[in-house]
Amino acid sequence: MATTSKQYKAIGEDIWKGRTEKINAELFALTYGALVVQLVQDYEDYGEVNTQLEKMGYNIGTRLIEDFLARSALGRCADFREVGEVVAKVGFKAFLNITPTITHAAPAPASPTRPGGAPGAQANAAGASFTLTLDENPLAEFVELPEEVLEGGLWYSNVLCGVLRGALEMVQMQVQANFMSDVLRGDEATEIRVTLVKYLEEEVPVGDD
Amino acid sequence: MVPSLAAVAEPPVRQIDGAAMDYFIIEAVNTLRASAAVAAARAKKIEQEMIDGGLIPPPASGPPAAQRDSVSSNISRNSLSGQPTTEDEEEGLRARLEAIGVHVGANVAERLSHDRAMFTDTLDAVKFICKDLWAACWDKQVDNLRTNHRGVYVLQDNAFKPITRISGWEGRANSLRKAKLYVAMPAGIIKGALHRLGYQAAVVPEITSLPQCTFQLKLPKGT
Repeated sequence: MATTSKQYKAIGEDIWKGRTEKINAELFALTYGALVVQLVQDYEDYGEVNTQLEKMGYNIGTRLIEDFLARSALGRCADFREVGEVVAKVGFKAFLNITPTITHAAPAPASPTRPGGAPGAQANAAGASFTLTLDENPLAEFVELPEEVLEGGLWYSNVLCGVLRGALEMVQMQVQANFMSDVLRGDEATEIRVTLVKYLEEEVPVGDD
Repeated sequence: MVPSLAAVAEPPVRQIDGAAMDYFIIEAVNTLRASAAVAAARAKKIEQEMIDGGLIPPPASGPPAAQRDSVSSNISRNSLSGQPTTEDEEEGLRARLEAIGVHVGANVAERLSHDRAMFTDTLDAVKFICKDLWAACWDKQVDNLRTNHRGVYVLQDNAFKPITRISGWEGRANSLRKAKLYVAMPAGIIKGALHRLGYQAAVVPEITSLPQCTFQLKLPKGT
């Protein structure tokens, strides 16, 4: 491996320390919470709210990646496994100051492999995935969801899935990012699974969304 | 109160990146523009069903199509750039941004003021807004505070953070219009904070030239 897990952690830490503008995470959590409530009122459909949050995240992600690439000066990732490492240890750290833990999985037969175990070719195949486990979630600081929201299927932090999808698409990867579980829903952990659909050809940039 | 003890008792302030927050706000505005339109369309549909069902009389000014034409602002149908198309839609968006601000402001004010003594009077509360709230939200204090001593206060910030970076590729008029939208949430924050402190205030933002912004607060007379 060219860069170790520890080195990525250090890079993430450096970027975070070097960020000139930091804001109180509470402001963010409160604003996001009020936004979700408003969307629930406007759409009256939890599935639709999930979609809108993801879409919003996608747009944010397409902008964040530029910022990230400019500040991190990291080269292209060798494989999807490395993508996961960078996302977890550098990406999340740089913007949200958290470091989710990561488990990698090769494409079917889907048996989770320990980092460093998967052969390079398999780690790049469509269907390769990694799962991010968030021990802390700055979005959900003071949030408790009422029963009907839990049953309605809302993924409160779905914006994060969109951010991942948007950011990775800008670096030529089409992925699916979905919540697997959320402590807000009473689950054991908060997990996002990111699955590689395919690599994208370099194209002439398309117009605005 | 022992300030240093209080500092130790508070958990460390969690932070996130400022640029990420900026992008989030920009996209939140777009998301709310869309959701406001959906909610408005649904309300119109319900209204139309009630009219059709004879439950309410049809609008006095004639059929709905004519009514829409009579709206006086710049109307551009199906604007691809996502700009608000009517005054109503712009108002729906502005109201939502302000409502979010109210929620944020109330909670922030609650946290900030929970250690201190009750506010002795209105001026005290306004000063809290100018110093503590402003610092917590926008990293500085208000530059200028004026009052007519009869319940009206004007807070001036010469470089108001939410609008310092509005870039207008389309020119100044558009930047100004965008800025007016971006101060809706801050106006709500101030309003929510004051309300939480016990003061019902009307808060009106005004931008004459970027990045300067003033907020006019009208507090009820007395205290």
